[in-house]
Amino acid sequence: MLKDYVQPKTVDGVLASLRQGNARIIAGGTDLMLDMKAGKTEVEKLVDINCVDSLKKIEIVDGSIIIGAAVTHQEVATSKLIQEKAPVLAKACRTVGSLQIRNTGTMVGNVINAQPAADAAVALIALGAVAEIFDENGISYLPVEELYLGVGQSKIDSSKQLVTSIKFPSLQSGQGSAFVRLAQRGALALPMLNVSVVVTLSGDKVDWLRLVMAPVAPKPVRATEAEKMIQGKQVNEETIIATANAVASQANPRDSALRGSGEYRKSVLQTLVKRGLIEAFAEAQK
Amino acid sequence: MKKTSIVGKNVRKLDSVEKAMGAATFTTDISLPHMLYGKVLRSPYPHAKIINIDTSEAEKHPGVEAVVCYKNTPRVKFNTSATSTFTIPPLQPVEDQYVFDSVVRYVGDEVAAVAAESMEIAEQAIKLIKVEYEELPAVFDPLEAMKTEAPLLHGQCKEGRNIPGEKIHMEMGDVEKGFEEADEVFEHTFKLPVQKQAQMETQAAVAKVGVDGRVTIWSTTQTPHPSQRILATIFGLPYSKVRVLNPPYIGGGFGVRIGLSAKAEPIAMALAMQAKKPVKVVYDRKEDFIASDTRHSGYVTVKTGVKKDGTFTARKMRGLLNAGAYCSWSAETPGVLGAMGLSVYRCANQMYDGHSVYTNTTPGGAMRGFGNPQAMFAIESQVDIIAEKLGLDPLDIRMKNMMKPGDQWVLPYKCQSSGLEECIKKGAAAINWDCRGKVEKGSTKKRGIGVGIGSHVSNAWPFCGDYSNAYITIHQDGSVLLATGVPDMGTGTITTLAQMAAETLGISFDKVSVTFADTESTPFDIGSHASRTCYASGIAVVAAANDAKKQILQYAAKKMEVEEEELQIENNNVLAINNPEKQLPLNKVAVDAHLEGQQFIGVGKIVPENAPPWLAHFAEVEVDTETGKVKVVKLVAAHDVGKAIHPQIVEGQLHGGLAQGIGYALSEEIKYNDKGQQLNDGFHKYMLPTAVDIPELEAIIVEAAEPSHPFGVKGVGETGLVATAPAIANAIFNAIGIRFFEIPITEEKVYKALLNKENE
Repeated sequence: MLKDYVQPKTVDGVLASLRQGNARIIAGGTDLMLDMKAGKTEVEKLVDINCVDSLKKIEIVDGSIIIGAAVTHQEVATSKLIQEKAPVLAKACRTVGSLQIRNTGTMVGNVINAQPAADAAVALIALGAVAEIFDENGISYLPVEELYLGVGQSKIDSSKQLVTSIKFPSLQSGQGSAFVRLAQRGALALPMLNVSVVVTLSGDKVDWLRLVMAPVAPKPVRATEAEKMIQGKQVNEETIIATANAVASQANPRDSALRGSGEYRKSVLQTLVKRGLIEAFAEAQK
Repeated sequence: MKKTSIVGKNVRKLDSVEKAMGAATFTTDISLPHMLYGKVLRSPYPHAKIINIDTSEAEKHPGVEAVVCYKNTPRVKFNTSATSTFTIPPLQPVEDQYVFDSVVRYVGDEVAAVAAESMEIAEQAIKLIKVEYEELPAVFDPLEAMKTEAPLLHGQCKEGRNIPGEKIHMEMGDVEKGFEEADEVFEHTFKLPVQKQAQMETQAAVAKVGVDGRVTIWSTTQTPHPSQRILATIFGLPYSKVRVLNPPYIGGGFGVRIGLSAKAEPIAMALAMQAKKPVKVVYDRKEDFIASDTRHSGYVTVKTGVKKDGTFTARKMRGLLNAGAYCSWSAETPGVLGAMGLSVYRCANQMYDGHSVYTNTTPGGAMRGFGNPQAMFAIESQVDIIAEKLGLDPLDIRMKNMMKPGDQWVLPYKCQSSGLEECIKKGAAAINWDCRGKVEKGSTKKRGIGVGIGSHVSNAWPFCGDYSNAYITIHQDGSVLLATGVPDMGTGTITTLAQMAAETLGISFDKVSVTFADTESTPFDIGSHASRTCYASGIAVVAAANDAKKQILQYAAKKMEVEEEELQIENNNVLAINNPEKQLPLNKVAVDAHLEGQQFIGVGKIVPENAPPWLAHFAEVEVDTETGKVKVVKLVAAHDVGKAIHPQIVEGQLHGGLAQGIGYALSEEIKYNDKGQQLNDGFHKYMLPTAVDIPELEAIIVEAAEPSHPFGVKGVGETGLVATAPAIANAIFNAIGIRFFEIPITEEKVYKALLNKENE
């Protein structure tokens, strides 16, 4: 039973509050409140992080973008900085839920909730993002890609740890990105598929590519084979089609009674990858 | 028609300020002193017998004041739908359920209920009820449920295994001869999904039992008067001791509570009687999805004989609907499906057979369109197939065969007016029909345009009984109170009825107030359903207004020393038609009458005829051939509504219907798993289109005045989705050359069909 709700003003205050009682962090609460109502999560104390000013920033420091734990999806989606320097993330955050949910739910919460196709997480993995984690042992860093333990399970233990921010290099000229999503309706729908692409070109050749797809496994999947295959290739239609065909070997979408068969999603995945590559290449060549 | 000054104008809706300010009250807002909260325990099994039920722990739980189940509630069978109160003999109403029973017949069926001091306590308490079930074989598909090995849900039915009520048969001319005369015969079967009304306010009721035994029920019912009778009958009370009312608003309905609000009213009443305190029962969204009527799923087969020139010579239809676990409206819906399906096109030889079948699923019941959208998806898809095969323009084949006033049809009332041709022409212009097939087709995004036409009813007769009453009382200051039994569930009822009253009486609109949807302050009215309110209740209101007006003029004639026939009321003044200088203000007339011991009280008592509204829907779609995703680019709906009393309300009705039609066509469906559980059990999993999925909508109002209504009105509440799904499906065909015989047409279905076509 929930007995207490505290709003510390500092990161230390958050960690101190977590140490007493069966406590847990709440940011937007758009997932947590539902879990509590359904009896899936038992909590005695909620530690609200929205009063910690340092967690509410979106900033760029030495070419790295830092997004605080209390920043909402809508703030990310509408940030000029993110739209210019990491458009893939702005687009991903823009597709989450509805405006009301985006105004409340936080981007970091989306990552820690660890759903297989969390839109922000899919984009952040493509950006090579790293999470900054505070706990009683001090600070540590983990790539977002490695935060997943399983479906709905994060390595982050929100009863002991606080992710303060997520950091990734801003995109430079010669780089491009894309976020492509297929859903059953235009808002308030989990993705049937989502794909994130970040690419670096040197001249008309691919220097490197990061391609993330979901939900094709319990967590977002890096299409590492396709990434390897495309390295050094010429930017042209042939390369795009070959890369799109190569992702299938690493994608194993399940049959979902609600969101389409695995067979369908596996097949359409190639279209989404193709569209993502075309968009990202075009952006990189601008 | 006489020039009108209030009818036909977009006056400010009577409920607009209250709703805009958040002051309007709904059942969910009701709070009474000492009120308890009710919660229902529901079956986890699709079909099971309750071997034992132990409620003792729940009863002992602190804060619990009543626990009810089949052991301590009336063993009186009823039907939650209002049909049982106006089924016309020799047909008999199907009464097949109790408040609680010892057998559960679908996942979500009611097992027991608790009333407690808070919702939290009630929720805890239902978990303390111990139920021992013996699972019974279950059946989910209507075709399976008719087989001899299928379990019987309600014992032997007289018409066949698991068939509720009577089978429907309609016939005209000689169908076999008609097929012989045909150059070509087409036959197709279409499969329809379960659609949910998804009204904003869930099923809800608050019951209060007075110390004298009188009961008051505030609820979300669309039909307070018939609901009064159902509840009084269940609990063995005189009707006069049961008051049913809306408080006064309902958050939508779309047919889901024509009769009781699922079982919210009788459960609240049973709990309140035991607890001797008021009890509020509000379904949560999941309960509303799984334990409250849906649109019927099922199969529709159409066989049509056609001459080479496109003339229809014969049509045979069959409708087979999934009734779900209880009958609700399952005896009537197949009838409307057939009757509407046969009445859009002129065809001398027609036959329809249809019925429903019980299965262990959520009951199918009334939903906007009531069988008609099922019929028209089938018919309008097939008409398109015929046009394609014969090389005819889809508009030409429709114009050639469409019903016209004076044509013979299966219905027992006449088609007296039709603006369908105008609807087709105006709609075609708005969608740029001439560009159909000439639109630039991209390599992966293909565009297409499609059409669907249809009709509907303006009240429930002859499928059920139908009549209306209304009172008009003139106050001493010349202002007016209108009393009508129909609810306003967001459809603008009270505004349009008040407009008709003011227009008839010759008084200004702002002088009219309305009391409505209350069995104690209004005379009997069937309620808001069957697109009937503006039409049927409107006729009663006009009759009541005319009655009051006659009394006013009789009285004024004496005072003014003018013949009654020479008097008229205009702008709140009684005046002589031929000598307008001779006039008396209505407030003066009313107060004089009062001082002489007279109030003008008009009574309207009417039995309506019926009238077909007409409609033509046009859709433009874009199909993404690489994903199968269908995007509706534009929808045009041209509707002959007879007379738009309030054009904005009419447009609102059409826009809403179109949105619901898009969902029906492309995404909405409640599916079941093999354990009989509803997979789409809330807004998260049920794909209602959102605001961003709704394209440009163009509603075109056509007014071919209907002689059977004093202002020429026809029904408009349901027509908006009658032909939306086939218009979209036909546009998809036009875009990619693939015909779908099953809705919703999801991206996966389109994608697979495209692959199959490629592989052919």
